[in-house]
Amino acid sequence: MTEPNEPTQLASGEAAAEGPAVTPAARTRKGRSIPELAALVTFFVVEVVFFSLKSPYFWHPLSANGWDNWLNILTAVAVAGIIAAPATLLLVAGQFDLSVGSGTAFTGVMMAYMVAGHGFSTGLAVVLVLAAGLGIGVINGFFVTVVGVNALITTLGMLAVLRGLGKVVAGGQTLILENFSGLGTSRPFWNIPTPVLILVGIFLVFWLMMRYTIFGRSMYAIGANPIAARLTGIRSKRLIFVAFLLSGLCTALGGLILTSQLGAASPVASLGLELSVVTAVILGGASLAGGRGTILGTILGLLIIGVLNNGLILLNVDPFYQEVAQGTLLIAAVSFDQLRIRLTSR
Amino acid sequence: MADFRLQARGIRKSFGGVEVLHGVDLDAASGSVLALLGENGAGKSTLVKILAGDYTPDEGEIDVGGEVHAALTPVGARQLGIRMIFQELSDAPALTVAENISLGRWPGTRGIVNWRALRRRAERALEQLGVDIDPDAPVSSLRIGERQVVEIARALSDEARCLILDEPTAALSSQEVDRLFTFVHRLRERGVALIYITHRLEEVRQIADRVQVLRDGNVVLVDDVGEVDRRALVSAMVGRAIDDVQRPPAPTWPTGETPVLHFAGATSEGAFADVDLDVHPGEVVALYGKVGSGTGEIAEAAFGTLSLTGGTLELDGKPVAFRSPAQAIDAGVGLLPADRQREGVFAVRPVAENLSAPSWPRLAKALGFITSAVEATAYRRWHDTLGIRSRNDPAQPIGTLSGGNQQKVLLGRWLERKSHALLLVEPTRGVDVGARQEIYRSIRALSAQGVGILIPTSDYEEVVQVADRAAVMARGRIVARLAGDEITTEALTEAAGG
Repeated sequence: MTEPNEPTQLASGEAAAEGPAVTPAARTRKGRSIPELAALVTFFVVEVVFFSLKSPYFWHPLSANGWDNWLNILTAVAVAGIIAAPATLLLVAGQFDLSVGSGTAFTGVMMAYMVAGHGFSTGLAVVLVLAAGLGIGVINGFFVTVVGVNALITTLGMLAVLRGLGKVVAGGQTLILENFSGLGTSRPFWNIPTPVLILVGIFLVFWLMMRYTIFGRSMYAIGANPIAARLTGIRSKRLIFVAFLLSGLCTALGGLILTSQLGAASPVASLGLELSVVTAVILGGASLAGGRGTILGTILGLLIIGVLNNGLILLNVDPFYQEVAQGTLLIAAVSFDQLRIRLTSR
Repeated sequence: MADFRLQARGIRKSFGGVEVLHGVDLDAASGSVLALLGENGAGKSTLVKILAGDYTPDEGEIDVGGEVHAALTPVGARQLGIRMIFQELSDAPALTVAENISLGRWPGTRGIVNWRALRRRAERALEQLGVDIDPDAPVSSLRIGERQVVEIARALSDEARCLILDEPTAALSSQEVDRLFTFVHRLRERGVALIYITHRLEEVRQIADRVQVLRDGNVVLVDDVGEVDRRALVSAMVGRAIDDVQRPPAPTWPTGETPVLHFAGATSEGAFADVDLDVHPGEVVALYGKVGSGTGEIAEAAFGTLSLTGGTLELDGKPVAFRSPAQAIDAGVGLLPADRQREGVFAVRPVAENLSAPSWPRLAKALGFITSAVEATAYRRWHDTLGIRSRNDPAQPIGTLSGGNQQKVLLGRWLERKSHALLLVEPTRGVDVGARQEIYRSIRALSAQGVGILIPTSDYEEVVQVADRAAVMARGRIVARLAGDEITTEALTEAAGG
């Protein structure tokens, strides 16, 4: 057959000449997409201005060391950020990974156990830890895509399993790991800590992937309508499986960085890390229903949390309030979203 | 029941600065059925949602049995006896029929449910409708038509004085439609005022006493049903004269030798049996049958979502057994699903992305890299030819388009994919009259280019307007075959009737 479906040969019909008929819904939606990120940026700016005025240590753009605190902020959110990138990818497809918090603790303990406890070389141990991260992803992915268990349940179970396994391996103790500080504390270029460089690299990769690759675009389609995705030939299960692998891999990377920063690994580290990750992603505009969310939004969400935590410390607020602030932020972000939808749809 | 009248006067309503109702009146009286007609976006739904208290009008008044209100609330409308049955069922599937009928007003004292009273109420309501449905069965176990009956029973036991039905027959089989009409007539006899929204013109004559047509937010016609003919209704709806159901011009192009789709003795247990069917390149074949007759399942079998338990399927002369839609798509098959919202569109995603999704592998550069610009180009290729009416912004979410325009985008999806075997299931369900004609024209134009098209449908007028050949199915088997001018509405309904 010759090339079918040439557009020029299709009858266009007189109706096309009538011009656009915009439905009311179309008009109300138009004004909606813009304030989504604008509100976040505004909040971020207000936050920065507030802390700059309140604390002499927060930000002095003109003095020599005035920018140092920004590196502190970025370093503090590096581990959460490295995990938030694949979490955004998953949430866009309507999936979650709650096992990331205990996953970093478990992989960290594994690293210390092998190197400090059993004389593995650092290189081999790093490879094995990353493989373990992939393994966690394989298990999560298997139960979600092959067995068909809800991702929330699967990874919630995995969260408990990994927390427990970490305690078993470490014997409930904190394991000291010396001579592994490079990954977490070195500053190879322009005085920027390695974790921050890794964070930027991961965000760049995920930004490109989600915006410009078939894989990334397919994840949006899966989240927007899983049945339609299947009927347009998207191999949903395979792709979701891969996303869980990426999440597992980034979790292990986070575990390594954390252990390196602390020089020790504790099985009860990263308590509630999954909450920070989800908060950052949701704050960044991703929809729980799937189909919407961007890496740029997640970066903004992460910075808002980072600045808030950092600012509270600089203002000498009791650190326990950080958790309160973060939880409040999550609820506020979602409430704001609901409010915005209600205001614009009426 | 005492005489009751629901009147709306001078209703105006705007959304985001755009007025969609420009001072509309409506008059529904007890013991009569008012059919409310109009294309998608004409303002029907907005109007009845104002009556049901879902929306607040900007101007105008609502007169409920002599009481004049500026606006109603959902609870207020219900207390005044106005009930609405939505296109999408609003029942609680996990609860029983009896519980659903009393949903929101459980009988009992001090917060303790009186289960016997609840059951009695359900039995009485179902008895009044003359249906045999087990009050203790969970609603999820019922067929869709029965679920609708339960919703009507619920409205009935609630002493509805005005019942609004929003396209209630969209998902029903013809037997279920007949039954629904019986209930509507029974309610009319009981003195209920009925407002019936529909797309299907043939229903108006069967069911309504009066008819009101909305176009672009204005009332363009109100009359007794006996006073207007079909042609007048259609031209009032679309704002220009449209021909009656007409055959397309005979094809001037040759059809290919080897069939693109060839079913031989194809059987899928519980769905269809012994189906022999050919679709040649350059041919439009309709598969007509009532809901549940197996037409949609034939399409599923050719798309890898339903497997054959007997017989064979050949694509371009080669036997195939697709195990997934992805395989079928790679082989050149495209499917337009019947349920556009649930199975077709990615509502929150841009139109351009919706159109190009299956073509990504071809549009992408190395490493699977794809840009919005490439998608936008693909979208613009089809925007004008398919007559898609939108802001012409490739980034506009498809969910903001009307049903007909969404369907055009989904059709474009397979054109961009260069599929040469198309399965268009109920291609114009929920699509307004004007857009329907455009879709038929596109289908004919596609077949002229050598695409083989199979159209499983339950709309016989559609078959007459678009098909070169038709097969009629009943209870999973092909019971008649028609070709060319043998395809008439009479022949089709007669063949399927048995």
